[in-house]
Amino acid sequence: MSKVKVATVWLEACAGCHMSFLDIDERIVELLEKVEIVYSPIVDSKEIPKATVGVIDGALGNDEELHLARKMRKQCDIIVAWGDCAVFGGINCMRNFSDRQCALKEAYLDSPSTVNPEGIIPHDDIPQLLPQAIPVDHEVKVDVYVPGCPPDADTILWVFQELLEGRIPKVPSEKIRYD
Amino acid sequence: MKDITLTIDGKACKGAEGNTILEVARRNDVYIPTLCFLEGLTPIGSCRMCVVEVEKNPKMLTACTTPAQDGMVVHTQTEKLREYRRQMLELIFAGRNHFCMYCSQSGDCELQDLAIEHGMDSVRYPFLYAAFDNDATHRDIQVDHNRCILCLRCIRVCAEKVGTHTLDLQKRGWNATIVADLGRRLGESSTCTTCGACAQVCPTGTITLREFAYRGRRKDCDDAVESVCPLCSVGCRIKAYVRTGSIVRVEGTSVTEPDGGQLCKKGRWTLPRSAERERISVPMIREGSHYREASWEEALELVAENFGKAHQADSSGALVSSLCTDEELALFVSLFKDGLGMERLDTFDGDVLRGFVKGFEPFREQGIRPFTAAHNILNSDCIVNLSADPDEEAPVIASYMRVGTLKNGATLLNLSCRTSPFADITDIDAVCPTPGQSAALVEGLAELVAGLKASGGKALEEGKISVGELAGKAGIPEETVEGILEKLAGSQRPVFVLGGCLSRDPVAVTSAVNLAIASRAFFEDGMGVVPLVVSGNSLGTINTVLAREPWLGREKLDFLYVYSTGLVPEDEESLSAISGTKFVVVHCPFWAQPLVNLADVLLPAPAWFERSGHYCTIEGERRRLNVVVPPKGEIRGLSSILKDLSAGLGVEPGKPKESPCGNLFASEKPPADARMVSLEEVRN
Repeated sequence: MSKVKVATVWLEACAGCHMSFLDIDERIVELLEKVEIVYSPIVDSKEIPKATVGVIDGALGNDEELHLARKMRKQCDIIVAWGDCAVFGGINCMRNFSDRQCALKEAYLDSPSTVNPEGIIPHDDIPQLLPQAIPVDHEVKVDVYVPGCPPDADTILWVFQELLEGRIPKVPSEKIRYD
Repeated sequence: MKDITLTIDGKACKGAEGNTILEVARRNDVYIPTLCFLEGLTPIGSCRMCVVEVEKNPKMLTACTTPAQDGMVVHTQTEKLREYRRQMLELIFAGRNHFCMYCSQSGDCELQDLAIEHGMDSVRYPFLYAAFDNDATHRDIQVDHNRCILCLRCIRVCAEKVGTHTLDLQKRGWNATIVADLGRRLGESSTCTTCGACAQVCPTGTITLREFAYRGRRKDCDDAVESVCPLCSVGCRIKAYVRTGSIVRVEGTSVTEPDGGQLCKKGRWTLPRSAERERISVPMIREGSHYREASWEEALELVAENFGKAHQADSSGALVSSLCTDEELALFVSLFKDGLGMERLDTFDGDVLRGFVKGFEPFREQGIRPFTAAHNILNSDCIVNLSADPDEEAPVIASYMRVGTLKNGATLLNLSCRTSPFADITDIDAVCPTPGQSAALVEGLAELVAGLKASGGKALEEGKISVGELAGKAGIPEETVEGILEKLAGSQRPVFVLGGCLSRDPVAVTSAVNLAIASRAFFEDGMGVVPLVVSGNSLGTINTVLAREPWLGREKLDFLYVYSTGLVPEDEESLSAISGTKFVVVHCPFWAQPLVNLADVLLPAPAWFERSGHYCTIEGERRRLNVVVPPKGEIRGLSSILKDLSAGLGVEPGKPKESPCGNLFASEKPPADARMVSLEEVRN
């Protein structure tokens, strides 16, 4: 039997969800007998190939992230949203309570640790911020939601096992967490 | 009340007429999720979590507000209800900032628990991201309106249990926020008593107490020990949360208790803060201007040597705190009184207690219990404040008085030489120019009210004093006296709250009970009188260590043993008497200044959270103090220290006697049999 192809992408979030995934420890060996990770921060590939399962970790905060999320949706049959950022927007949403310019000003000019005598806010060479940081499902359809900051390693593994059994899982109450 | 039977989820459930569907369900162990509901507060059905389906009714009904009817067939767990409840939760999450990962209450949040229970793995509504105020203006209480779900529990507890009505709601719909006073921030409020009840009932991370934030979620705590707050005479039940050996949070118990599970600012803050205070951890002996550490043997030997000599010269005394438990007081009596036959034993607030005891004595002789459980203020229709300042003396009594007046519609009268502490809600504020005139007012009122009640309230019979004379004597307008008379004569169950300062004149205390008898202030357990004695176990000290006559400061003593819990500052008078003593032993858990400076020997004592025992409270109950955190290091219990001390003195202490609470609370006759006492006789 050929391995199931899995792509994972790290968008606007800390690395926590992927770290939690690695927390499945030695069970990753058994998992890798059944799946092939074709695209991920932990493998070296430049383009998102076709995959059965696409995992998105993180919210959508800029146009590059939006592009990657859309690309994932196009290339993958099943999209899994990993973690509070992908599911709800998470900590990135803190900037949604004020406007985009405010966030940029704080980050590039006003924060006490910033040294920026010319007062330049970069805009050409980096992705543009979206007006608000948004959960993944505000732009692309999500099939499986795995909330948690981060989700437990056991829950992440359980979701893969369910998918491998051919089911679209819904995380039960006893596995849901938001922090 | 008529019994009714409902079918809830196929189970026959019994209830009583007047119950809500939720009450019947809970009584029959049927679970219905709730969020804004809190037992003890008026249900408002605002969160819609408790919706149920009732057959033959097309609408979903809120179980917390819908009266149960006989024969109702109720469903609580249908797919439709689960989906509806989940939608409600999603709407709440989308409405404000309910991102758990940066909330101090995550893991200790009823909203989070419900969302998890309902399998909320995503929110299908757009988030509003409306920025609300994070009100950090109050020193101790933080209100982050971004986390608020508008369940209104805080508003209800503030109105229905604390009675200050500090919190209310402003604006409408999604823009509605909790507000203090009439549009102030909490820190600017003039009515907030800093009791923290709002934070205790808040189901989310909106209202939090800074000191308790991030110190451990309730469910992560190793233990939650029920005990008693020793700081005032009410003796509120507390729950102290312990995590890794520290007290991280102190809360009241259940909202269904008469006190509403509230704590006042004293209990809420002083107790946990005291756990951080510097402790006396080993016995210390004074050397010049310093203390040096000593072994228990050496310290107690030195104490026994000085104590023995002074005792033989009849120049020794002992002063113990009225925050001691009955058991501790019994131990003191067994050594000092029974073992040594010492007359000079007393408590710090002895004068207040002696005043009350003397004032109550004529009624106790009649077999009447001259006071009632404090929470009976809530069952009264006329609350009379006699020279008390309850917000300072016993803040939960102040809550009872406010709630009695505002919620239960009682009349509030103030008879005092000070303006009413409840300025805005006092019906009649009779402020006499002097304490003597205030006492005269009470005395005269007793006669007039007795006359009115005897005539069935029709007309004043010609008695010893007329209204005009009394008004003149008391230095208040005649209409005021008439108004008070009308209120007292028309009241069914008045209750009189006696301030501690009243005890300076025992006749005034007797006179107050006379007025209670005249006004027929009869409750099941005794007269409608609530004396604001000083501390948690003031009542327990009355039949134990309380001296008949004051002795402290009357003569220069050679030896004084002082036991302080270090929680309440000692009064100036006692301190100056202590400093005039040749050899002073201070037995105290904390470096309580200035008391410890006066000591020749310092002995470490267990703190309130390390002791157990019983308190006699003015709530009319003997309440149990439990060990919250076991004592560490060289701290020893009182019985073992006193045993060693008696051995050193070569005396055999008596057997500690049963607590005297029963004697104090016994009432041989119903209060209606009480007779008024002639004050002339008392004075002579």
